[in-house]
Amino acid sequence: MKYILEVNQLKKEFKDFKLDSISFKLEPGYIMGFIGPNGAGKSTTIKLIMNLLKKDGGEIKVFGKDHIKHEKEIKDRIGFVYDQNYYYEDLTINQMRNIVASFYSKWDDKQFNHYMSQFNLNPKSKIRTLSRGMKMKFSLAIALSHHADLIIMDEPTSGLDPVFRREILDILYDIIQDENKSIFFSTHITTDLEKIADYITFINDGKIVFSQSKDKILESYAIVKGGPELLDDSTRKKFLGLRETKFGFEGLTDDLDLFKRNFGDRVLIERASLEDIMVYSVRG
Amino acid sequence: MLAVLKKDLILLISNKRELIFMLFYIPFLIFTVDSYDPKMLYFTIIVTFAYFTSLSSFYHDIDGKGKYILNSLPITARRIVLYKYASIFFHLVISIVYAGIYLWIINLAGITIVDYFNIEMIFKAIPIVMLIISIIFPAYILFEPRIAQIINMLVFLGFLIGMVNLGALGEKSFIKMIGIFQGNSLTYLAIIMYLLSLLLSMVLYQKKDL
Repeated sequence: MKYILEVNQLKKEFKDFKLDSISFKLEPGYIMGFIGPNGAGKSTTIKLIMNLLKKDGGEIKVFGKDHIKHEKEIKDRIGFVYDQNYYYEDLTINQMRNIVASFYSKWDDKQFNHYMSQFNLNPKSKIRTLSRGMKMKFSLAIALSHHADLIIMDEPTSGLDPVFRREILDILYDIIQDENKSIFFSTHITTDLEKIADYITFINDGKIVFSQSKDKILESYAIVKGGPELLDDSTRKKFLGLRETKFGFEGLTDDLDLFKRNFGDRVLIERASLEDIMVYSVRG
Repeated sequence: MLAVLKKDLILLISNKRELIFMLFYIPFLIFTVDSYDPKMLYFTIIVTFAYFTSLSSFYHDIDGKGKYILNSLPITARRIVLYKYASIFFHLVISIVYAGIYLWIINLAGITIVDYFNIEMIFKAIPIVMLIISIIFPAYILFEPRIAQIINMLVFLGFLIGMVNLGALGEKSFIKMIGIFQGNSLTYLAIIMYLLSLLLSMVLYQKKDL
């Protein structure tokens, strides 16, 4: 198995949104961040991978196998974390654990208890009494306690404070030390990905903008800053995204050499962050 | 299958609303329903309990928030539907045990004399529960929750009106006239409806976007 997750020409159409033949691949042992603005299609893609939504076309393979034909076997090896709590609020952590554990062939109580103490969660607490961060930690503990080979998470860090977020990222980093495991997670907090992701897949308006290694992306893009006198119609067209003020401009490019050749020292060139790439690409 | 049943049982005993319903529904029926045949009270209790607990569990996992959790676990959509249909018999057993203990205590306390176990009524309750479920379950998969709830209400009202009609008029009731409880025709109809409904629900649920 070369890829742990393969999405090929995936299509899904709703009344007011279309996922337009998207493709990307994830190898074992890596973390892929799935970024994009709200409504870009991140959750739709994840739900399609999990077969919670039914695809209109294309192919999804997990562990080299069709995600529908081998659904049970595949889900037994996936740890899934939702963007919000769907666990039964009236139950305690222990009761919920009892329910979920019975479904997995490799459920590990020792591992679960380890995460319970690491996250300071009381197994007797009712789920409804947990804070958002605690609920996320509980979801993560469930996802990590059955020796999953692929962890899929939909916006796991949104709404969490930086300390919680860092804690979760550290755990994900530990998991990935096992070269056979992979993590695929969507987020719009791009700084999280700059810390731990190996690959970035950027989706906007139902289309994949790029799916590449993080280092290559950060090398390819740059922010160019300069005075307003440098801009004309042809220069403007060369930016992937541009912000102009009366004092100057700031734009995103993936053709750094062109600007170096044309403007030399008259422009300031800076490294683009993932957030810059996302914001400029979306706004244009 | 056991994992799904275990989940249903844990949810049943943790749901305060259902526990309150289970606690007060029997005395409510005993003191309000005046039937020509006391056995019908036992029948009504079993059918209503099995129906409500089955539907509650089904709604949780098929249309409620629980659908996301259940469908991300290692279980296929076909199996979810199959187990949900099979679990109505589990809910019937729970209803029989619960109603039996509750009514036995009422008898023992001398509050009133009621049937606490009646095999004839149990055999009549099973096809009725199967019939009701055969209509309600696919409705919840096929329609928006609001429409499904209307269908559910209509079906349950139909059942209650039938029971009231039977209780008040006895041998002259519409239920007796059409002979629903006579012979095996109801059982055969229930089995056919149940199987067709199961197949339909499997197909619908496999294609449904959650």
